[in-house]
Amino acid sequence: MVGLSEGEKHFIRGGIAQDVRTDGRRRLQFRSLSVQTGVIPQANGSARVRLGATEIIASVKAELGKPSILHPDKGKVAIFVDCSPTAEPLFEGRGSEELSAELSVSLQRCLLGGKSGAGAAIDLSSLIVVDGKVCWDLYIDGLVVSSDGNLLDALAVAIKVALSDTGIPKVNVSVSAASDEEPEVDVSDEEFLQFDTSGVPVIITLTKVGRHYIVDATSEEESQMSSAVSVSVNRHGQICGLTKRGGAGLDPSVIFDMISVAKHVSQQFISLLDSEIAAAEAEEEAQ
Amino acid sequence: MSAQAGPGTYSPAAAAGDRRRERKEELRRHLAEDADWPRADGRSFHDCRPAFMQTGPTTAASGSAYAEFGKTKVIVSVFGPRESKKAMMYSDVGRLNCNVSYTTFATPVRGQGADNKEYSSMLHKALEGAVMLHTFPKTTVDVFALVLESGGSDLPIIISCASLALADAGIMMYDLVTSVSVSCFRKNIIIDPTSDEEAWQDGSLVVAFMPARKEITQLTLTGEWSDGRITNAVELCMDACSKLGDILRDRLKDTATLTCE
Repeated sequence: MVGLSEGEKHFIRGGIAQDVRTDGRRRLQFRSLSVQTGVIPQANGSARVRLGATEIIASVKAELGKPSILHPDKGKVAIFVDCSPTAEPLFEGRGSEELSAELSVSLQRCLLGGKSGAGAAIDLSSLIVVDGKVCWDLYIDGLVVSSDGNLLDALAVAIKVALSDTGIPKVNVSVSAASDEEPEVDVSDEEFLQFDTSGVPVIITLTKVGRHYIVDATSEEESQMSSAVSVSVNRHGQICGLTKRGGAGLDPSVIFDMISVAKHVSQQFISLLDSEIAAAEAEEEAQ
Repeated sequence: MSAQAGPGTYSPAAAAGDRRRERKEELRRHLAEDADWPRADGRSFHDCRPAFMQTGPTTAASGSAYAEFGKTKVIVSVFGPRESKKAMMYSDVGRLNCNVSYTTFATPVRGQGADNKEYSSMLHKALEGAVMLHTFPKTTVDVFALVLESGGSDLPIIISCASLALADAGIMMYDLVTSVSVSCFRKNIIIDPTSDEEAWQDGSLVVAFMPARKEITQLTLTGEWSDGRITNAVELCMDACSKLGDILRDRLKDTATLTCE
């Protein structure tokens, strides 16, 4: 992205102070959101999400694996983010490694809950096939196709939509005589299990510019930010994750206020997202 | 130039202000009623581990610091300000470069610490707000942190130790940065968790705080929290950060005293 002149920077900050952003939005207004499911037939679940000019493709692949020693009754979920050079020239080579790692860790923090498994968006116990021996491993990949700010929110939306599109094959286990033998598993080609994604949270990023904060910042607005707080909120209004970004320090009362605003904004955003998912699924079935 | 002092224990129990004290007493009663077990190392829920910090363990560095909190041992070296590599573009503010790594023997399972690759960027964000970058344009300050032993709450200790090392190097800062984390279990919140406690937590919260300016430079949260619990946990962390800030200042004064003698 080409650097901004001082006049442009001043215009952006002044506009935000007046509650009119350069594209005409208000401070707490999102860009248009469009959702598409089933874009990658080979994956167990996939989705394409466009938030303004930011575009994300997310896919979910399920493989049979072995549960971890610490949690033999739970499946495993891994989240990876790939910032493609097609999205931004800065993402060439190793330039995107730090951003990808940061985004994937933030998403893991928001979606996978605590280490005991409580508060996770997905019920990991439903991924168990045989306790301690066989479980489903979910690999969630997010690909940034086009980048115009607010990547974290768009990635969270794409993952939620991809999970709602995910079908896990049903597994039949033949009981072997000896309990220490490896169980034989038969993966069905016809029957699929679907996830309950009502507990999957959305991420709302509030970006502080001057003395105000905005949602869904574009790249230009992000370049003017002093700091930002990404809040992950689920349907019940519980905070599932929180990440502060940007270098400047924030007063604690400002952070608490940002959390309240994020909870308020997330209510309508979740409703909007639910209707978009329903429309996308209806469109996919119509094909 | 080496200062060494005995370990100091700090606890956020002594809070300022009547309302806050009442709230903390109420919280303490609530925690006590729900569970009355002391922690494995004998601490109560809101006690931090003994903190030992020392400046100047590395002579080759501009500044360095060593920190020991219970079983967690961290050493941080600071180099610079020094000339930036030519590949980097011109910048009228200084650059802060942070790197966090684990020794192969730092964890119970050999080589396990390599998974924490996001710690470098989190350390950078925590320190960026405190360092006066405009005082060394066109140059770079490198912060290298090495975890010698991982015993829980690694990142907060790295952040506190790094800010002490930056001060030891003479880098101009608005304030020291101190950091503390809490773990959340069903109903209880415990501060400064060990690795055993971390392994079973329902959620966690890490706060990096500038005590004198009362600003938060880093805040990350995992798991499911309600609003009230976040507020309580953040205030608990800020209390502990202020106590830890006093300890850091004492270490720096000890160093200055030795230099004057």
